[in-house]
Parts: sequence; structure tokens; C-alpha cells
Amino acid sequence: MMKSTNRTTYRRALPALFAAGIFFVAAFGTGNSDYQKVSNNAVSFEEEVNPAQHTDSAAETTDELPLFREWKNFTVEDGLPSNKVSTVRVDGDRVWVGTDKGLAIFEDGEFSVITTEDGLSHNYVLGIDISELTGEVWIATMSGLTRWSAGEMTVYTQFNSGLANDVIYSVVTDEEYVWTATAAGASKFNTYTDQWEIFNEQNAPMHEPWTYGVARSDEKIYIAAWGGGVLEYFKDSGQFRVHKDPDHQMQIDLYPDDGVAHDITTVTYYENKTLWVGTYFGLSRYDGARWNSYYKKDSGLVSDFINYLKAQGPVVYICTDSGFSTFNGERWVTYTNENGAGKIAVTDGVSSSEMTSATTLANNFIWGMDVDGDEIWLATANGLSYSKASGPVPL
Amino acid sequence: MTSKKNIALYIILAIMAVVFWFAAQRGHDWSRNHVDYMTATDNGFPLNCANCHGGRQVDNFLTQFLTDDYLSPFNVAISPDGAYLYVVGQEDYSLSVVDLNAQQVVNKIQVGTTPHSVILNDAGTIAYVSNQWDNNVMEIEVPAGNIVNTYETGAGPSGLQLSKDQAFLYAVNTFTSDVSIVNLNSGKEVRRLPVGNNPTGAALSPDGESLMVLSRRTIPVEYRTPPKVEVMFINTERQRLTERKEIVSAHIMENVSYSPDGEYALFTLIRPKNLVPAAQIENGWMINHGIGVYEASTGNITQLLLDEPNKFYADPFDVEISPDGNYAVVSHTGANFLSVIDMDKLRVVLEEIKNGEILFPENDLGISQRFVIKRIETGAAPKGMAFSPDGSKLYYAEFLSDKIGIVDMNTLANGSSIVLSEANQDTPIRHGQRLFYNAGGTFQLQYSCYTCHPDGHEDGLTYDMALKPGVDMNNVQTLRELPKTSPFKWNGHNVSVYMQDGMRFSKFVTRTESYSPEELTNLTTYILTQLKHPPNRFRRSDGELTEAQERGRKIFYRTTTNDGRAIPIANQCVTCHPPPNFTNRENADVGTAKKHDSPGMTFDSPNLNNIYESAPYLHDGSAETLEELWTVYNDHDEHGVANDMTKNQLNDLIEYLKSLESASHYK
Repeated sequence: MMKSTNRTTYRRALPALFAAGIFFVAAFGTGNSDYQKVSNNAVSFEEEVNPAQHTDSAAETTDELPLFREWKNFTVEDGLPSNKVSTVRVDGDRVWVGTDKGLAIFEDGEFSVITTEDGLSHNYVLGIDISELTGEVWIATMSGLTRWSAGEMTVYTQFNSGLANDVIYSVVTDEEYVWTATAAGASKFNTYTDQWEIFNEQNAPMHEPWTYGVARSDEKIYIAAWGGGVLEYFKDSGQFRVHKDPDHQMQIDLYPDDGVAHDITTVTYYENKTLWVGTYFGLSRYDGARWNSYYKKDSGLVSDFINYLKAQGPVVYICTDSGFSTFNGERWVTYTNENGAGKIAVTDGVSSSEMTSATTLANNFIWGMDVDGDEIWLATANGLSYSKASGPVPL
Repeated sequence: MTSKKNIALYIILAIMAVVFWFAAQRGHDWSRNHVDYMTATDNGFPLNCANCHGGRQVDNFLTQFLTDDYLSPFNVAISPDGAYLYVVGQEDYSLSVVDLNAQQVVNKIQVGTTPHSVILNDAGTIAYVSNQWDNNVMEIEVPAGNIVNTYETGAGPSGLQLSKDQAFLYAVNTFTSDVSIVNLNSGKEVRRLPVGNNPTGAALSPDGESLMVLSRRTIPVEYRTPPKVEVMFINTERQRLTERKEIVSAHIMENVSYSPDGEYALFTLIRPKNLVPAAQIENGWMINHGIGVYEASTGNITQLLLDEPNKFYADPFDVEISPDGNYAVVSHTGANFLSVIDMDKLRVVLEEIKNGEILFPENDLGISQRFVIKRIETGAAPKGMAFSPDGSKLYYAEFLSDKIGIVDMNTLANGSSIVLSEANQDTPIRHGQRLFYNAGGTFQLQYSCYTCHPDGHEDGLTYDMALKPGVDMNNVQTLRELPKTSPFKWNGHNVSVYMQDGMRFSKFVTRTESYSPEELTNLTTYILTQLKHPPNRFRRSDGELTEAQERGRKIFYRTTTNDGRAIPIANQCVTCHPPPNFTNRENADVGTAKKHDSPGMTFDSPNLNNIYESAPYLHDGSAETLEELWTVYNDHDEHGVANDMTKNQLNDLIEYLKSLESASHYK
């Protein structure tokens, strides 16, 4: 039987313990109204923990968000084959622009156009990448993959090659390899040996083979799988690891920062030791140890419907159906076209401000973009938009 | 012995003699019929079993008695001081060092398998040799012969060049159709640039800014349209492919040479007329031979024939321009001639073409007389050449004589020659090899076997060879490793190589005298015993199949569909394509006959060894890739049951097919 002195001690300690518990929950509780909150690390699989990555990514976050106030827009009147611009890629002094009516090349202030009549596999261009190794341009289209090499085009289809499927949403080059995300799996093409490998639900942890995006890092290839989350392909071993939304198919984020925002992923991009994932239901960020998710409702993200994103250093550029957002881990800057006038919204979660600009992006529905230093190009539903940063966003 | 016994003995002997006579007569008749059948002759071939058998059908220990150890000089390079000539021996895998003053071989260095080209650094102290079947380039201190480095490249390195600063080595990879750029400081390949189809020759512009690379095989073109090969330009500073020029109606562009001032680059080419029925003899008949002239200032390329109206100069191989830029010399391997071109006269012709004064120069059989000033007869099969630094001499490799010929450029006449080996050049196989490379047996010397079968393979084209124009197109097939793959021709009508190569086409169409039995026997022996597949580049070095290839192998051998239905034996892959040659040597209807094929046409099952290097496919070359055999041309599962396959399975099957190598690996 407990001694009376012990019972007294416990009775006196209980309130203190209770207070301590209240304090603990208040400080570190499960609620997440703060979009910068660090994840509680609830993950559904074994993950690598790399404290150095997390430290580095935190140290590299700066306030240097570029401010884009002056825009120039290009349409069919300027020589584009169509105003429906799906993708854009900077290539030195040249800019490759994919539309639904052909591929345009912007060079020396003018557009030239390439279509199926010139050998393009299909006029609806969905993705473009430039090989760092050879300078070749790889063009993903609605009906095949086109390899542009010094002006000549070679077409790869599911009929004449090992390509998984002709509907190709994204392409990325990685040394001598070319990866494509297609409607029936991802393809890996070795340009040295002419060998193809395809990855789908039969041989990869894909829920279904519809892949939407592909990206690369030094060690891995990342595949955005529609309904399948994000697949990591380890180049050295050929093994896969999958990141899926622990909330499964729920349209709400039940447990914030527990993984990918949603399984319907549209794009991934790896930069600065950070994997960015765009979904139709929000944005996610993974530093190798922790996930963070961002939504319109509780961040400066202009829309959860993310078509495309790309990062340059710590800054991610996000293309949505309702405008264009940039984020550096602390602050958001969103650009929208308000009936022809430009609106620039800045927020850090605590304070917000707005600016206007005389010129603005061509359209709020943005399919793609590219960034090169302080210049950006946006592929929108009503033209191609270009802007050069006028400086950093003021604090 | 009693007389009765003698009589009995005599009767028995007489009976035996009669029986023997009948048997011998039967045997003779059978032999006669057999030989006539196999050679498609009528009592014209001698009855000698050894002619066709005894080491002549396959490469075995008896073959060594029919040949010798040949060097077969292929390409050459000359030292900057003119003291040494370096000669690639393609068949004895060597690099010979020839002292040009003494005119004799002073060193012989063993290099890799099937070496192709040799170049020297500016100082003449280092030679680089491309070993085409080893996929590497050797760096050799010369003339001593110390191999100091070996650089890994893509598959099939052939042509070589050094950057102007000697920091980079460019190796043209014929089998993977790309150029390896090797950093000579680090010894590592830094990048590989895709270039055309089956490239070999390359030349650096005199200012070092541009590397020009030639292709030999056509790029994929629409069915029944002219072939197109590419001339490609690599910017050496950026190490990027910056320009590709399509050369229409030409192929087999072997070598290129820049004029010293960089104004022009000349390259060899062949102009096939594969779309035109072979029955039209006028206007250059089936194949013409010539050069392409690239004009640096304009970027224009002009094709010019080196043939004459009634005499052709087959298989142009190398072109070299003299150091003073006054002459260009072209070696015609199939004609045993060199053509000497006066560059000033050539410039006049080019100007007239530019001004519109000459129309269709690429088909003008008379144009060569405007700028070819001399034809120099050579020994057997002239190949690579090199000018002495002062331009006074031209050295050329006599590929099938094991000699170096020397031309005095002052007199444009042959001088002495340098013997490279003591091998007997008159063996049956050497004789057959010379026949293979020589156009002497064809109408107006127009083409050799090699012309359509470069390197003993095929040229990637489909010819209209039939007596019915426009019907039964023929996709050229490889001649490599033919033993035990008869019959021949896509229709399977030729039971032997004797029949296939018995000059019947030439005899019937152009009334050319056919080969003598000895010639035909030796030619056939050469083809059957000497033409080999290069190493299969899709096989692992340990010979094991990759996972994808193994999965594909199972599909190849499968007997049921994915849903468990039995595949009829006649429709199983292995039925018509069993190892080791992957042909059952029978005809089959696989649903691939087109409306332009004769009614009821069936096709001989082709052998599949090293099939990956024989695009396009099918009898008429209509399938661009292996995939198309089943994605485009197998709607009704007549060419194997494949429509139930997933894309994964089809890819695996293709990987397996690409791994099929020489028959010897399957015994």
C-alpha cells in the first residue's frame, strides 16, 4: 500500500503535470494553422533522414523573391501558332514554346514554327527538355516523342520503338537517358544503346500507369503518377520508392504535413535538395526527412490546382489554374490577371500586401513555365508571357 | 583352280563390274543432277566433291588450307616528316610501320580486333587506332609501338580525328551511329553525339572549328522513296551537333577530305537507283559512283559522278586532296583504279552548275571527263590513301594484295610498291575475296558484290529487281554467316549460294559472261567461310541474358497466350525460327505480302542472328523497326501470336531478339 507521504506528493504533482501537458499541447499540438509548421514526421514507410539536408535547405532560404512587374505577352499576332501555350523551355538565346498547334522557337525577337509537316510527331506539344550532354531537344507531344537534333527530327512512337505510349505529358533528359511520363507508364530510353525500359503498374509501384510528370536529381528520377503519388527511382539500383498521401483519397488534408498533399500529382521538381510536388489539391515540399504541404486556404498559394512548377534555388514557381505563385519557404508572391490589370499579392502568413502592375500575365490559367536567372516565361491558355524581375520583392 | 571355278569367278566379276558400272552411272547421274541443281547450271560445273565440300561450306580446320594469313591493308597515315607510313592491317589486327625510305616494314604492332583507321598527332609521335570490334581506340607511341592507352568508345569505332589543340579525340562509332568525344587528358569520354546512320568517315576543317561526319546508310524514309544519308557538322568548341544536311539518292559515303584552304570538302558516295526497275539499262542503270563536293562558303553540296557512260568505277572508298590543293584522288575499290581530279577544273564545273549551265549534274555520266584527268590502274581493291607531305607521292593500300602502291604525282603513274606480307595471294579464298570486291563480272563494271553488301552485310535498301517492274521488291539481306541458312532469296527459290551468286541475273539481263566454275567455287567459299557478324553489342560481356532478354526469351518460346490459350505450333516463334540460326529454312505465309507482291507469295524464314543490325525488315523493307513487325504488320497474328501481348512483353521480346548472336553461340 502506498505510503501517505507518497500520495500527498502525487496529489501535489498532478496539477503541475497537467499544466505541463497543456503547455506541451499548446506549443507543439496537432493543429496546423501555421503553414510553416514543421511536420510531426508521421510517415507511412521507412524514410532516409538526412539532417544535413534539412539544415542546408533552411539555411538557403532567403528573402530574395524576384518581383515581376513588367510583362510582355506574345500571341498569334506575334507569330505563335496558337495562343494555347502548354509548355516553354529556355535554351540559351532561344526559347522553345509548345502549343496545341505546333512548336515555336523564339530567337532574335522572332518566332519560327515547326509542325507535323516539318516532321514533328504531333502539333500538340506537352513537354520540352534540352539535353545538357548533346544540346538535342526532346519534345513530348500528344502522339509521340520527337528528337530534334541540329534541325532534323526523329519520331519515336509506341509502334516503332519501345516507348510506352504515344501520349506523353513530360520529358526530361538525364545524361544519356531520356525519361518520359506517358499515359501508360514511364519510359526510359538509353540514347547510347537504343534500349528502352518501361515502368507501369506491372513492374513498378504504380497505382495505375498514367504518369504526368518526370524530374531528375543526381541520384534519382521522380515520377508524378496520377493517382499514384510520387515515385522515386534510384538510378544506381533501379529500385522504386513511392510517396503517397497518407490520407489516401480524401479531398481534405486530414493530418497536415504527413506526406504528399494528394495522390493526384501533376508535377515534380527537384532543386536545392528539395523535392517539390504539385497536385490538383495542393503543393508539397520534401527535404528528404520532412514533408510540408501548402494549400490555398492557409497559405499564399493562389490555387490548389497546380499544373506545373519549377524551382530555381530556394524559390519555387507554381503554375495554377488561377494565377502564378512564387514561394521561398517564408513568403508568397502571387500574380494574377484581374481583367487586364496586374495584381501582385505578397504574404508571409502574418502580414500581407498588394501591389498593382500596369502589365500582367496573359492569362491566369498557366500550364507551364521556365525560369532562367531573373527572367521567366509562362505558358498560359491565352498566350506566352515574359517578364524580367525588377528586383527583389520588398520586405 | 578348275576352269569351272574360273568361269564362275569371271562371271561374278563381270556381274560386279556391270553392277558397279550401273552404280557408278547412277552415282554420276545423281552427282550431275545434284551439282546442276545446286549451281543452277546445266552440265556446266565440274563434278568434284571437293569444290563445294571439304572445308568450303563452313569455317573449320580444313578452311586454313584454302587461305593464308593476310594483312589486308585498310587505312593508312603518314608521319609529318614523310619518313613512315602507318598501315592498318584489318585482317591480321595489326598496325605496320613502313619505313618509306627503305620501302619496307620495320615494325608490326598487334592492335585490337578488326582495326579500321589510324591517325597521328601533329608531332607524328602518337598513333591512334580504332579497333572496330573491340569498341576502343588505342594510343600507341610510334614508331616504337608501345601501346600507352586504350580509350573506351561507343560500338564500332571507325573514323578518327583529333581536335586542333590535340586535347580531344573524336571517334566515329559506326555501330551505334554516334561520335565519342574523348578528353585525352582525363582519358574519359565526355560526351557522345548522335550522327546519322552507320557513319564512318570524318574530317576536321582546316581551322579546326568544325568536324564533318559522314553516314553510310539511309535514315528512315517513307517506303518507296529515295534514300537519304546525312552529312553532319559538329562545332568543336561547343561540342555540339550544329548542322545536318540530307543527301538525297545517295549512300555509302565512306570518307571525306578538306582542301587545305578549307574551301571544299570532297567525299565519296554511291548513288543507288533502287526504286527504278533493274530492267532499265539506260542512264546509268542501277548504281552510280561519285563524289560529293561541300562548298564551305555557301554550305551547298553537289553530287558528281565519277563514272563514264560505258564504264563505271565502283565503290569509291577514300578521297585525299594533295597538300597544294591541286589534285584530289579517289580510290575505287571495286574497279581497281584511282581517279585523279584536277581541282581547278572541278571548280569550273561547280561554277557552271551554280550558274545553271549544267542541269542534273548528279546524273550526268559525261561530267567526270571535265575534271578527272587520269585513271590509274592499281592492284586488287585500293582502299585508304595518304599523300607524302611534299605531295610528290601518293601511297595507297591495296587491300587484297597486301601491298602499298605508290603513285608518282609528277607523272601520275604508278611507281614501285611495298610488299607488306609474304602471304600467298593466290589462295582460293583470297581469289574469292577479290571476286567479291571487284565489279569485273557486271555490265560495264557497274557494281561488285560489296556494293550492295558492304562489309559482307546489306546496304539497308530495297531494290526493284524483279522481271515484273514494281512487283516483288527485295530488301537486301546480309551475307554474314550463311552456312545452314539456305535457301536464299526472299522467295526461297535459290537453294545454294552457288545459285544465288551464279551471275544468273547478270547473265540473263545484261548477257554478261558468268563466273567460271573455279571462280564461283572460290567466291562461294569466301562468302560461306569468311563473312562474320561483329560481336553482338546487346549481349553482356559474360554472355548471360539480361533480365529483360530472359523475359523475352520466354515469350519467344511460349506455347500459350496470356490468357492460357494454346498457340498453334505453326504460329509459335521458335517453329519458324529455331536456334542456332533461327530459321527453319522453309517458306511461310506470315501475312506480310503486299499488293505489290506476286499472288500467293510466301517467304523464306530469314535467319535472325544479329538481326538488330539489319533494319529495315520484311521482304520489302517496309518495317522500319523490329517493333513494327508486330505493331503494324501483324493484325491477324499470322506472324506469331503477339496481339495479346502487353507493351512490356513486346519490349522484352524485342530485347531478346536483339540479343540473338552468331549461331556458334547456340551449339
